[in-house]
Amino acid sequence: MKRLIFTILFLTAALFAKAQIAVDTLSTEALNNLLIEQVERLAEDSDDDLDYEDLLENYIFLSENPVNLNSDEVRQLVELHLISVFQYEELQKYRRFYGDFMFLDELEMVEGFDEQTLAVIKPVVCLEKDQSKDKITLDKMARYGKHQLLGRYEQILEKQQGYAPIDDSTLLAKPNSRYLGNPQKYQLRYTYNYRNKIRAGFTLEKDAGEMFYTDKVSDTIQKLLGNQYHRGFDFVGFHLYAKDLGIVKTAALGDYQLAFGQGLTLWSGMSFGKAGAGSSVMKQGRGITPKGSASEYSFMRGAAVTLGGGPFSGTLFYSNRWVDANISVADTLDNEAELVSSLQETGYHRTIGELLDRHAIRQQVVGGHLAYAVAHFEVGYTAHHTWLNVPLELRPSHYNQYYFQGRSLTNQGIDFKYVKGKYAVFGEAATSMNYDSTALRQAQGPLAFAGLVGLTVKPAGYLNFTVMYRDYGKAYQNLMSNAFGEGSRNQGQRGIYLGVEAAPAPYWNILAYADQFHFTWLTSQVNAPSRGHDYYIRISHSFSKRANAYLQFRSKTKMKNSTDAFVFSHYPIFYTKNSVRFNINYQIGRDFHGSNKAEYAHYRNDDGSNEHGYFLCQDIAYKPEYKPYSLTFRYAIFDAKDYNARIYAYENDVLYSFSVPALYGKGMRFYLLGKVKLFNALTLYARIGRTIYSDRDEIGSGLTLIEGNHKTDLKVEAVWKF
Amino acid sequence: MKKLLLLITLILSTSTIFAYDIIHPIGGRAAAMGGSSVASQGLWALQNNPAGMANLEKISLGLYYENRWMLPETAYKCGAFALPTKFGTLGLSFNQFGSSKYNENKFGLAYAKDFGRYLQIGLQLDYLLLKIGNDYGTFNAVTFELGLQSHVTDKLTLGTYIFNPVNFSFEQTLNHEKLPIVFRFGMAYQFTKDFVGQCEIEKNTELEGVNLRGGLEYEAVKNLYIRAGVQTNPGILSFGLGYAISFAQINVSAQLHNELGASAQIGMIFSIGK
Repeated sequence: MKRLIFTILFLTAALFAKAQIAVDTLSTEALNNLLIEQVERLAEDSDDDLDYEDLLENYIFLSENPVNLNSDEVRQLVELHLISVFQYEELQKYRRFYGDFMFLDELEMVEGFDEQTLAVIKPVVCLEKDQSKDKITLDKMARYGKHQLLGRYEQILEKQQGYAPIDDSTLLAKPNSRYLGNPQKYQLRYTYNYRNKIRAGFTLEKDAGEMFYTDKVSDTIQKLLGNQYHRGFDFVGFHLYAKDLGIVKTAALGDYQLAFGQGLTLWSGMSFGKAGAGSSVMKQGRGITPKGSASEYSFMRGAAVTLGGGPFSGTLFYSNRWVDANISVADTLDNEAELVSSLQETGYHRTIGELLDRHAIRQQVVGGHLAYAVAHFEVGYTAHHTWLNVPLELRPSHYNQYYFQGRSLTNQGIDFKYVKGKYAVFGEAATSMNYDSTALRQAQGPLAFAGLVGLTVKPAGYLNFTVMYRDYGKAYQNLMSNAFGEGSRNQGQRGIYLGVEAAPAPYWNILAYADQFHFTWLTSQVNAPSRGHDYYIRISHSFSKRANAYLQFRSKTKMKNSTDAFVFSHYPIFYTKNSVRFNINYQIGRDFHGSNKAEYAHYRNDDGSNEHGYFLCQDIAYKPEYKPYSLTFRYAIFDAKDYNARIYAYENDVLYSFSVPALYGKGMRFYLLGKVKLFNALTLYARIGRTIYSDRDEIGSGLTLIEGNHKTDLKVEAVWKF
Repeated sequence: MKKLLLLITLILSTSTIFAYDIIHPIGGRAAAMGGSSVASQGLWALQNNPAGMANLEKISLGLYYENRWMLPETAYKCGAFALPTKFGTLGLSFNQFGSSKYNENKFGLAYAKDFGRYLQIGLQLDYLLLKIGNDYGTFNAVTFELGLQSHVTDKLTLGTYIFNPVNFSFEQTLNHEKLPIVFRFGMAYQFTKDFVGQCEIEKNTELEGVNLRGGLEYEAVKNLYIRAGVQTNPGILSFGLGYAISFAQINVSAQLHNELGASAQIGMIFSIGK
């Protein structure tokens, strides 16, 4: 019934929209494809469900608010790795010689800007007079500021076990056996933007299963939760951001992200890491950026400011956040002390247990960054100090002996970058200082080191290669780093990376890398220091402007404990996952786009048995020119007996939302995404996706268990711009 | 006889045996090119990807016979008729696999339409009939096939085909045997005027793994075509010859399987019209 209503609503809206014809700007297809490839690689690299919103919101913002090619804003393109540092240098050189750009097509004359780059960046740049020196007045802000209000609803339509009715006494006996809230997810966000110089906004979110105003729980449960009882929007955030106000380069209040150097000392948000591949492994610290996403784990909340003059700039920041943690009370001889046994990173507060952990401890960070930048050279120094109001004491295990524990942590680092002609050299060295830690950790003294250094050479326009070495000490601790590496921790790892990007013939491109890594201490589920490697190659070809395809191979070997039940002590052995993917994108006539993907994944178990995964899909998008609506459809089948041979496939989604489901088992999946623009200001999105399994009668386990062989997800979003 | 026993063993070693073979590339040309046919045009597209008959110009009738593994019990018979109209091409098809003891039959009603040079869409409604001898009975099912082709550039044609996209099955059989979903896509690339290469990937949901197919066709002498191809699952090499004149064409081919030996195919198409 619900679906019917949505269909009717959607159709009415579509009819309505016919009268209003809006012209979309240049197609961001190429940019989207670039992001899709990277996001898929990122999904493959991580075992957790990531929140891509935080990472991708900058790209979405960029595609909605193009940067002025004739201003310093264009730096954002290199910071987001849409152009390389070499292309950026050429761009600057061109502007120095010939003055401001008059036409976008002039970009074709800039050295090193190939068709691929142009297709990606043309839709996200514009030409204006440089207005960065203009005075900002309230009058102008009111008149030219752009507002955007976004509301989203999403839900899994099938009943999940966590929402099944239960009586109080059973729930009290097993407090984490139900979600307390309803299965709907809501998000509301508002943003204001004045010429990319002043930005402000707020974000409200309630995840599925979290209690909303309409949800009720019994008094006993309320009493049990005590202060932790919480209804309504679970995440509330706001941000205020300004840049280029004279000596104040950037300033932020509320939620923000920090990114400096190569991310080894301080990089609070997500980054593409290895998924970026090629020359983009050289990171570009973006300094302070506003955070409008609803991602609940890694960000700063407080105030930050960057002041600058001439080649110098300095940043100061302070953050104060309540984070989720599991608190236990330890009995010591003299008194009861509170201890934190783990930090929760999911941001979910659906069950009694999760609510009890909600915002349990206070994490404060204070720090700064000093930078000196001249024509080709940049050097920076970063320092920050983190402290918790309750000491962290992890449940002792061999692998976490060097993890951060205790009450406070100090990090310092120096980063540098030199880009000239055919060479780019970059690196960062960092230290961590922690006085209270495990005995093993303390035996080595409070200080630990980490460092990375890399070189990119571009012998010719069509070729560049990158070598990078990293050595992160096993005792190096940092709660806010996100440098290049295997896995998510910049700790106890040594590795060397070699990457190549080449265009050996017209319309042919090759991207390849090899990464070899050692873990110098045990890791989770690996009972000894271990090693592994990761090989990747992608060959892409453009048949014409209307069709391009790529073929990709990846082979990744890592060590993990043997699952052999007959061994007394589990020792690590090598596991390899290989995958091959073919992808083709093409335009059908003027209004249709098509895409096919075929992927094969192979995983070998330690008993010698093999697991295979297959995925095939057909995408059709109907995007009529000069029409305010579009439709996207996918039909896919998959066959992967086991999770190890799972396949990740990016799916198109409503604005500011991203899905890369991991498919395994056997079945089919389809989705339909519709978009319609009304009155030029209001855009509606609706998406329905369904996975139907042919090999099982129930999906998931525990709280997410669904009885039946299908799972349907629905999302509806409205975006109002004014 | 030995071959038949081996074949039966192979068939019985899989859990469900129905309707594997009925969705199998048809036509002497496809058979010679490793089965690759999802991006091909012509009358047999009716069976392989109905979108490919959207641009058919003449009323055509085709007959096809495959003597698989040189055994009459595993023969494959097929007929097709297509009528181009102003509103698109209409088609009728019949396939039969097996013998009187066991046979799979498919009756199809197809329609294909061309939306300009870049897009052809085809649809076929199917009635499937499964007969098992010795009083096991007769079972039927209804489903459909969808196809899509696009001449993306002068040289490159892409095709996608899905048989049974919403997963209908034989309801009355003992084990509720599933009909497979068969999903294939691939391309044809016209290297030169007289030389074509094709390749495709196919997933049949009731079989392990995927099947990759590739084939080449060269017009050696005017109207005379030589062809070769390969498919991987099962591994089969194929070769063939074709001769075409304005009102008729005849295609013959041979397929070689390492364990099961050779199969032979012959296809004929007669056409009338402009």
